[in-house]
Amino acid sequence: MERINITKNTRGQMRIVEVILASFVIIFALSFTNIFAITPTSQKYEVTELQKLGYNTLHDLDEQGLLARFVYNHEWENLTSALRVLLPLDVYFNVTIYDLQGTKVNNVPIFYGDREAFATSKNVASISYGLVGYPTRLSATYTPQILIIQLVRG
Amino acid sequence: MVNAVYDHIIAILIIGVMFVSAVVILPTMSFTNIQAVNQQQLRNTALNVFNAMLLDTGEPIDWGSWRPFYMNDPRVNRFGLASAQDTTFYVLDPDKVQRLVVGNPLNYCDYNRVRDLLGLKDYGFCLRIIPPFNVTFKSISVASNVLNYEADVHYLDGTPIPNAEIYATAVYTKTQGNDLIFNVSQSGPFKSNSLGKCIGTVPLEVTDPDYYTVTLKVTVADVATLVVTSGQEFNNTIARINLVYDTIVLTSWKDPPNYNVPPNDAIWILDVVAFGSEGKLWHLLHKDKKGSSDFNSGSGNFERWNRTFSGLHGFQPVILIFNFWAVDQVTGHGRSQVLIVTAYPNLLGTNIFEYGGDPKSSDSVKIQRSVIISGMTYTAELWLWKEST
Repeated sequence: MERINITKNTRGQMRIVEVILASFVIIFALSFTNIFAITPTSQKYEVTELQKLGYNTLHDLDEQGLLARFVYNHEWENLTSALRVLLPLDVYFNVTIYDLQGTKVNNVPIFYGDREAFATSKNVASISYGLVGYPTRLSATYTPQILIIQLVRG
Repeated sequence: MVNAVYDHIIAILIIGVMFVSAVVILPTMSFTNIQAVNQQQLRNTALNVFNAMLLDTGEPIDWGSWRPFYMNDPRVNRFGLASAQDTTFYVLDPDKVQRLVVGNPLNYCDYNRVRDLLGLKDYGFCLRIIPPFNVTFKSISVASNVLNYEADVHYLDGTPIPNAEIYATAVYTKTQGNDLIFNVSQSGPFKSNSLGKCIGTVPLEVTDPDYYTVTLKVTVADVATLVVTSGQEFNNTIARINLVYDTIVLTSWKDPPNYNVPPNDAIWILDVVAFGSEGKLWHLLHKDKKGSSDFNSGSGNFERWNRTFSGLHGFQPVILIFNFWAVDQVTGHGRSQVLIVTAYPNLLGTNIFEYGGDPKSSDSVKIQRSVIISGMTYTAELWLWKEST
């Protein structure tokens, strides 16, 4: 008689052990899926913010007719100064200008900041800005060039 | 049979407890993700707030240019700093920005009022307006009829700016017997050297003036301009100079209620000159010292004097130069011509304008944009954080 009672009790305990094991499986599954969950990280939005800042600055320069002047007259020092005064102090930039054939136009680096910041930062914003040409008082030339500016926060 | 039912009940209870625990505990385990989501929400809020500040004119659209403007004026229904006269984005109205200057003698909106207007009950913010570069006067001197000045032009990180273009305007006075000479001379452009140093001269039309001041218009790469002024400095207790739209208002140098402070000195205004951001001068007023005085520096209404000059707001004045016939507060000698120069108080200079609370650097987000105030480019920076965490 005693042996039968023990067997019954053991069956009840086993169910609880099963439940605990099942719960571990659920927790494990939830934890595992959590690893793959894609949440909007602030870093991604940091890049978006830098892109907005970059477009804002280039558009301001273009509206004043200065961007085309700097690029087509090869006034690289002025372009660097203009970007340095218009962009916030902690934003580093690296500008490269290409023609339609993909040849680099600026032979002088248009750069401000720490080169290592560009190499190591996960949040580098890259903005392409097209210029169709530079109209002067006497003539206007259609020679499109593409300005690519990389921005990173220092 | 009964035992099995009990087993199932216990099992359901345990699963229930573990499920609820998992729902509660697991998200807190992924703390970084939660933090990222919070920061993203904060960034979105900051972007909306910044757009409301910089792109919206507010309601009514001319709220900054009211006279009188009351402290935390209840007539302001919506907050926004954008200029109503300009259709370009990110052009701010200096009259509205002035209403954020704490201590403005013609009243202002304090931090809590602006927070209420922006609907930021649980958030704190800090607005900064940063000049694009710095100009520092190193020396100014007059030798006979030549004014010499030396100024340094440098980026905000302290590195020098070469080839900055500098125009100088000297305003000076001299009393010769009964003749009161007030003159303006200009020179330039001069360029800063590779060390950012600019040494220039301005030829004067009189020798050894009694008072003089120099205003420099400094432009870097044809894109950013700063107007800075210097000259003989003295403790001005004649009046504070304010500008609201087209009207210049002189107020007591003391705040109410005790704004009438002796000595009582009769003051005549002989000349008023406005200096615009494009480097133009406008001689607004020229009078002599005949007749009754314009105001008394020690007694009278808090607003001592005001005059409207049609088109002054459109001229985009950055600096106002006053030539008073008054007792010099430094020497205490009899009346002479006294020059007072003022920009917008705490605004449009080389200082960083700051409004709001102290940013909590770890939990706050920062957004920056280029803005234009009175024709000059500045960087506007908004810090936003949650107050109740």
